[in-house]
Amino acid sequence: AEHTETITLRATANSNENDEDYDGLIVFKNFVEQASNGAIAVEMFIGTQLCSNGAECMQGVADGAIDIYVSTSGGTSGIFPFVQVLDLPYLMANDRVAEGVLENGTEFVTTMQDMVEETSGGAIKLMTIGNTGGWRNFANTQRRIETPADLEGLKIRTVVADLPQELTRALGASPTPIPWPELFTSLQTGVVEGSKNGITDIMGMKFPDAGLQYLTLDGHAYMGALWFMNGERFNGLTDDQKRIVVDGFYQLQQATFASPKRKSIDAYQAFQEGGGDLYVPTPEQKQMFADAAAPVYDWFTQNVDGGKAVYDAMTATVEKVEAEIAAQREATIQ
Amino acid sequence: MRVLKGLLWPFQTWNDLVLPVGRIVSIVAIALMVAAILVQVFFRYVLNNALPWPDEAARFMMLWMTGLMAPMAYRRGGFVAIDTILVLLPRVLAAALSLVLLAIAAVVLGFAVRIGWSEVTGFGGRFATASLYLPLPDGWYRIPRSWMMASLLVGVVLMLIVNIELILRNILTLLGAEDLKEIAPAEEEIMAE
Amino acid sequence: MLIWFLPVFLIFLVLGLPVFFGLLAAPGILLWMAGQERDITLLYRNVYNGMDSFPLMAIPFFMLAGELMNKGGITARLVEFSQALMGHLRGGLAHVNVLSSMLFAGLSGSAVADTSALGSMLIPAMERQGYTRKFAAAITAASSVIGPIIPPSGIMIIYAYVMGESVAALFLAGIVPGALVGVGLMIVIKFMADKYDFPVASRKSTWAERGQASLKAFFPLLTPVIIMGGILLGIFTPTEAAAVAVAYALFIGLFVMRTLKFSEIGEVLSRSATTSAVVLLLVGAAMAFKTVVSLSHAPEIMADYILSLSENPLILLFLINLLLFAVGMFLDAGPAIIILGPILGPIFVDLGVDPIHFAIIMSVNLTVGLATPPMGLVLFVASSVSGERVEAISRAILPFLAVEVLVIFLITYIPALSMTIPRLTGFAN
Ligand code: NA
Ligand code: NA
Repeated sequence: AEHTETITLRATANSNENDEDYDGLIVFKNFVEQASNGAIAVEMFIGTQLCSNGAECMQGVADGAIDIYVSTSGGTSGIFPFVQVLDLPYLMANDRVAEGVLENGTEFVTTMQDMVEETSGGAIKLMTIGNTGGWRNFANTQRRIETPADLEGLKIRTVVADLPQELTRALGASPTPIPWPELFTSLQTGVVEGSKNGITDIMGMKFPDAGLQYLTLDGHAYMGALWFMNGERFNGLTDDQKRIVVDGFYQLQQATFASPKRKSIDAYQAFQEGGGDLYVPTPEQKQMFADAAAPVYDWFTQNVDGGKAVYDAMTATVEKVEAEIAAQREATIQ
Repeated sequence: MRVLKGLLWPFQTWNDLVLPVGRIVSIVAIALMVAAILVQVFFRYVLNNALPWPDEAARFMMLWMTGLMAPMAYRRGGFVAIDTILVLLPRVLAAALSLVLLAIAAVVLGFAVRIGWSEVTGFGGRFATASLYLPLPDGWYRIPRSWMMASLLVGVVLMLIVNIELILRNILTLLGAEDLKEIAPAEEEIMAE
Repeated sequence: MLIWFLPVFLIFLVLGLPVFFGLLAAPGILLWMAGQERDITLLYRNVYNGMDSFPLMAIPFFMLAGELMNKGGITARLVEFSQALMGHLRGGLAHVNVLSSMLFAGLSGSAVADTSALGSMLIPAMERQGYTRKFAAAITAASSVIGPIIPPSGIMIIYAYVMGESVAALFLAGIVPGALVGVGLMIVIKFMADKYDFPVASRKSTWAERGQASLKAFFPLLTPVIIMGGILLGIFTPTEAAAVAVAYALFIGLFVMRTLKFSEIGEVLSRSATTSAVVLLLVGAAMAFKTVVSLSHAPEIMADYILSLSENPLILLFLINLLLFAVGMFLDAGPAIIILGPILGPIFVDLGVDPIHFAIIMSVNLTVGLATPPMGLVLFVASSVSGERVEAISRAILPFLAVEVLVIFLITYIPALSMTIPRLTGFAN
């Protein structure tokens, strides 16, 4: 047999081994290593050993120190401001719609990929968009939130990015930047009174122990996970290897879609067993949240570079996917 | 020897003149850091209206404080080191060993300057800061991350210049020069732990 | 091959290369030899990113607060207050030295600051009363390690930063161990005082005198109350508490006690900025070093090795204490924590040791290392403050080190000593 040198892809995620990112990477590694018969190896660095935030890690991806990196929209909005489209509230109704919209090849994903390619001058490729942690919900230490009025005056921790802050403000709460490692203590002592996170992060960080006992499933944002790869590295692969890597990312995406659903069952149960108050807003109440958040759409399309284009692509794709899903449903019911 | 002294002069003069300016900027920076954080506490706790910028602005100041103050500390021998062997060795051998150590430091700093330049001008520098804006006549200008990253680049460039001065001084001492101008002594400085 | 970074680093260190350059040169050379040039960039990038951190900002702030307090004559008031309480005991000034360190620890997060601030005042005073200079310097150095054990603490800020723990929880967990070190030192002093007939510093103070000394020390002693109270009540985060401490020190120094002059502030800022710059660069370099440590898979190799020695956490804790103590003899606490914390922490947490408890074991052990010969930093500072040779102080400090080692083992094997306060306040489970 001819001897070829093993290609080692260095992948990193700034999370931990309980995270969906890890589940996805494990599946990717397993798939790629088997499908390539060992010609491609994947070396995983989970945590912050190589780099510790979006700007730093993306620079590593751009110059080839890191081959594969996963980021939330917040981590890369400093260079790709348009990715904040994923943080726009209430655009995608549920997991099924989101998974359809984020499928590679839709108008939305293609637009995102083109914009990443263009902004980075080809240095970085957006390989796929998966999920990390389900949906963002409002949680707080003070009271049950049924309508936006209940959020009035609450200090809600957000990352320092424009859109989450605009949204929090639009809903009447006070956005408060607190570094993630200080969030537990800050909730506990009352420096902030709430946060917007997915349930698995809430439980993983033991926030209920810090008093975070009221959770409203408003599902305001899908926690998209953007998987990037160094462009040169990808282009240097043979066509067969490229196919394997692309398929690997498909497998990865599917794993990250599934993983939070399974994990959140236990997480929600643990949350309620610990005395947590879980509230599901009625459709009317959910509409009230969406109405209150409306100014954010205008803000996004007017102030963010590329915002209009990516917003249009997103809404068009959502419409198309919803129609497809409805048609499928009907076909099955018949 | 004369050539070496001629070579030393520009470096020494540069360090005598430029580093004190850096020191003053650092002093302003550390004071502004405190002010920014106090403003944040006031706005969040008293007015219940947290501001987005103090955290990042304070980090901006801290990085520049470090980049501009470290060269002066380095010049005055303020970097933590174990000098037991250097003290035990005879004078000439100690000077020779110091020269080797300074050469290693110079290589590290040389790499740092090269990488630092490509970092500041590269992809990572193009990231926008999350919350820092500069008021310009035609509206608010969003400060790029490269302005923050430049702090370490400036720091290593200044340290490299200090390092060259120290190497030249060391060689001159080895050759027996005795009339070198002293490096301005430190105020009673507490070294780092 | 990357695994050689550690011996290469140690050789550089012993030859006298500044720690900052050693932390970068050793892994840099190995990466270059291995042809991994792209990772040299990673090294640089992590220096920058290691410094670019909000929690780390507490370090310059607490340094600044400590400097302002010292300039503001606050140290003198703490010593006076200690003297009113303990000066009449046999070995009075030695006790005062320890008690002052415990009080000073509530304002400052650094052992070096403690040694230089209290040493320059107490060592000459002790000499005048007939203590030997080496004894005075030794008790100053030994008690100064309380500075970073009782909150606030620069070392614990670094630990919390690197390991993602809560600064507040670590601060609270340090209170009892810090007090234990103080009490332990006082017990040694008591024995030595009886045996060698140490002098009494002053006659017993009347309650009126004590009241007066307390009044003068009231505002400085309020500082730890403001820092910890503010954190516990949710008024500010630990980093912000540090900035508030600066404002408070300025305020009482300028306006309440009027012991600080406006003209002195520039110099204080300059000193704090210098010290902080050196520490921050060191933290950055250590973070970069840590990156290469994980590229080399050294943590996994070391974890396997450690677990092959024993799986009993009690035995492993004993061995780890020996290791840390040996490391602390040569390396400063900050870099040692950054390099070893991520390797050792997860092993013990997996074995069931509470992360806060382990943080305290590590911090206290490495802090005591600051006062251990041959390379203990505070020994050098005590030497320069007192004019006594390091070797002489190193011998005189041995009985005090013995009791500090005893305290390390007490807190290792009785978790409640560290964990009770954070548990009662809800900061630990
Ligand atoms: Na302290
Ligand atoms: Na003392």
